[in-house]
Order: sequence, then C-alpha cells, then structure tokens
Amino acid sequence: MTALVARSAREAPVDDVTSPPDGRRPGTRGRRQGAFGRMRGTIPRPMVFILGVVGVLVLLGGWWLIAATMGGDAFLLPTPPETWDAGFELYRSGDLVRDLWASVRRIAIGYGISISIGVVVGILIASFRSAEAFVEPQVALLRYIPASALTPLFLLWLGIDEAPKIALIIVGTVFFNVLMVADVARAVPQELVNAGYTLGAGRLKVLRQVVFPYSWPGIIDVARVNLAAGWLMLVVAELLAAEEGLAFRVVRAQRFRAVDTMFALLIVFAVIGLVSDLGLRWLRRRTAPWSEGSR
Amino acid sequence: MSGVVVVDVNKSFPGRRGGDAVVALESVDLHVDAGELVCIVGASGCGKSTLLNIVGGLDTATTGEVRIDDDLVVGPGPDRGMVFQGYSLFPWRTVSENIAFGLECAGWPKARRRDRVDELLGVTSLADFADLHPGQLSGGMRQRVAIARALAPEPDVLLLDEPFGALDAQTKRSMQDFLLSVQARTGATVLMVTHDVSEAIYLSQRVYVFASRPGRVAEEITVPFGASRGPRVLRDPRFLDLREEIEDLLHPVIAPS
Repeated sequence: MTALVARSAREAPVDDVTSPPDGRRPGTRGRRQGAFGRMRGTIPRPMVFILGVVGVLVLLGGWWLIAATMGGDAFLLPTPPETWDAGFELYRSGDLVRDLWASVRRIAIGYGISISIGVVVGILIASFRSAEAFVEPQVALLRYIPASALTPLFLLWLGIDEAPKIALIIVGTVFFNVLMVADVARAVPQELVNAGYTLGAGRLKVLRQVVFPYSWPGIIDVARVNLAAGWLMLVVAELLAAEEGLAFRVVRAQRFRAVDTMFALLIVFAVIGLVSDLGLRWLRRRTAPWSEGSR
Repeated sequence: MSGVVVVDVNKSFPGRRGGDAVVALESVDLHVDAGELVCIVGASGCGKSTLLNIVGGLDTATTGEVRIDDDLVVGPGPDRGMVFQGYSLFPWRTVSENIAFGLECAGWPKARRRDRVDELLGVTSLADFADLHPGQLSGGMRQRVAIARALAPEPDVLLLDEPFGALDAQTKRSMQDFLLSVQARTGATVLMVTHDVSEAIYLSQRVYVFASRPGRVAEEITVPFGASRGPRVLRDPRFLDLREEIEDLLHPVIAPS
C-alpha cells in the first residue's frame, strides 16, 4: 500500500524502518492493550479478587509499618496484633456482643422506619403533583437543620433511653431517603405507567405493581448510600448518652486511654458497614436480577 | 366487536412563557369500524400519537369527543389495549407474567388466567420463551409480547403507536404479517399510527393521511386490496401508485417563490 498522505519533510528518515515513530511494533498496526491496564476493560475474576486482597493488605501493612516505626507506643497507635488482642478481650468479656446488638438494634429500628417513610413519601411525591407541592417545601426547609444539633433537644424530650437515639437516626436520614427515593420513582418511564393503565390497573395498582417494582433496585441503592448517615447519627447519639453500644464503648475506652480497644471498635464499625453493603447488594441481585447494575 | 368514532377532536397545548397556544390537532373526524384495521400515517410531530393517546384515554381532547360503541371515552381502560413503540414491558416480570398483568387487574381466577396466557403464547409463538424476562428478548419478540399482553384481557379495540418503528426492516416485515394473522384470527378492531407509508398500505383497509401543524386529516384513502395480503401486494402497481399518492400528500412539492 502506498501512503494515503504525501510524506512531509518532518517524517522519520526512510532507513528507520525498524522502529516506527508512533512506538508500534513493526509489522503491526495499532497499539495492543493488555488486560491489566485496559481502560474500562474487564479483567479476569480471580484478578479482581487478588487485587482487592492485595489492596487491603497494603492498607494493613501501612498501618503496621507506621505503628511499629513510631516506637511501638501502643498508647497512641496500636499495631494490628495489639488491636486484635484488645478486640478479642472485648469479645471475651461479652461487652462486644452486647454493644454490637444494642447498636445494630437501634439502626435496624431507626433506619428501618426511615427507609419505610422514604419509600412511601418518596413514591407519593414522585407520583402526585399535589403531594409534591405539599411536602417538598417542608423537606427543603427541614433538611438543612443539622440533625446532630437536635440531639440535646431529643434528650430533653425523650429521655435517655432508646427513643432519642432512634429518633435521631430517623431525623438524620429520612429527608435524604425521601428525596432520593422520589428521584428514583420519578425515573419510572411514563410508558410503563401508561401500559399499566391501559391494561386496567387503577392508580393504587399502578403504584404497587408498576412504580414500586420498577423503583425497587434503586430503593436498595438509596438504602445502601444513606445507611452510612444512619450510623453517623447513631454514633452521635451514643457518644452523648448511652449505657451500651459501640460508640459508647469507644468513649469508655477513651477514658482509659485504651487506644487499642478504640481501634478494635473502629474496625468493627468498618466490618459492619462492609457486611451490610454486601448484604444489600446481594438482596438487589436476588430480588431484581433483571435490573441493570445488579451485579 | 365495536367501532371507534372520533368526533371533531381539537387539542391545543398552552404556549411556553405566555406565547400562543400550540394547536396539535384541529377538528379531527375519523372512525374505525368493527373488525377493521385502520392506519393513521403522518410525519413525526403531526399529532397522530396524541390522537391515539386521546382514544386510549391517556390524554384528553380540548374539545370534541371519542366514542366506542356510543360510550364516551373519559379515561384509559382494558377495553382499549395499547402497544407502544418500545420499552413498555415490565422488566421484572417474565413473558407470561407480562401477558397475565391485565388478567390480574381484571380479577381472572388463576386457572383461567393460565389458560388465556397459554393460548396467547401459542398465537404469538412465544411458548418457548414464557419464562424469560424482557431483557433477554430481541426487539421483535418484545413487541410480540406487548401485543399479546394488550390482547389478553380481550379488548374491544387495539391501539398501536408505531409498534414496529424501532425494529429492523426484516423483523418489521415479519411482525406486520404477524399482526395481520393475529387480526385475522381474533377479528380485532385495530387503529394503528405509523410514519411508514408502505406499512400503512400493506396493513390497512383504510388509511388516514395526516397533515402537520396543526395536525389534521388531509385525506382518507381506501386500500383496494382484500383480506389476504402478501408479498405480491407489495409489487402490485396499485400499491406503488397509492404509495406515491400518499408520499405526495405528506411532502407537498414546494413551489419555488
């Protein structure tokens, strides 16, 4: 083949045929991309797993290295084994299980109520202009009040039992849940709603049989994202007034300058987050395999 | 079987930012007799889909009315099955569950529901795909499911809004023959909207040609072919003449000024 474009004077000399100027190998066209560094490409599943494990090990190793080089002063930065020991001690004493259960129960009740309100109100304001006009200004006003600032008020109103903690989790997440579920429900294609109507479904049936199932995977995603905010509110509540709970235990450990215990508790928080995230993803895959993004 | 009568329907949308109202439909009169297949053909934006939505009860006419068997249309209902251009299947339901949706709404008992779904799976040759989800089907198969779903609750009228518009040419042709065979078997009354002139002639007994801005009936044309359509019709000189006539109506030659 002759070149399609006339050779310019700037081009490489004719005798330099072994290494073309664009870095490609002689006898080939284009640049080959390996699996590892291909942009937006897929890589083999084992490689995904190995990369993930290596990443966590790097994190762990970095922590260990820093802890060890700071003179092994367990007071300020414990090493991973010290943290493990402290965590195990916490487990053996029975405190860990009790605190874990207390915190998880608060989240389950508080966040469960919050997401339920989010689903009902979110779908309503996405579906009815009247509901939107009524609710949206309220939410717009209330959502900018920092929920954590309400803690003292809730303690005054509701005492120091479970009620203020659960209330705080609800208030701290419900507005996000409402607005984000509404966005999800607004994305239901009009054609699906129309199909429901022309097949004889009434409004309630369309909401339950068309809008809700279509929104379901999106609702799980919303629940996943805002769950972190739920834990944040729980920690705020437990830091101020609690007799059990993971964050209460962190404060308690601080009083004894037990940094290793505090670290162990932080890792418990991280693991709970990871487990609940994986659990919700699993739920999405199981209940909405038809949905894009259920992987 | 029942017929559709559209009487002097006008539709206008309020203009943007206080501008003039946009007239989408202007005094549209048309009718579809029982067991007839009628197409509305027009350029995009001529209001033909708006008219179909008004007949389906999904939209309301500014003035005028739609009657089916003398009953005034005031909203959507399962007596008027609709098929849209695409993406209207419920992706979380299998093929059979999609077809069963209207039957569930109508409160059919389970056993009868299953029989009706099986019957429609047979009519539409979808029996092998009953348990698949729409995401696993090709475009043509999805539209077959949509048609089966619309037919399931035994509607008086089938309203089709460019149902084959998103399909490739080969699939489109076989879907057209499929529609004709379904109509022959069920005797359904069909009103279909399309921008494809050949499709309109090939399928219908009569064609309403729509003009744009405002949308209105420019011409009503009776198609001279009998009930049995086939590839031969496509080569019939009358077919070609008809197509030319309609094309000229849709794209009038603009005289140089």
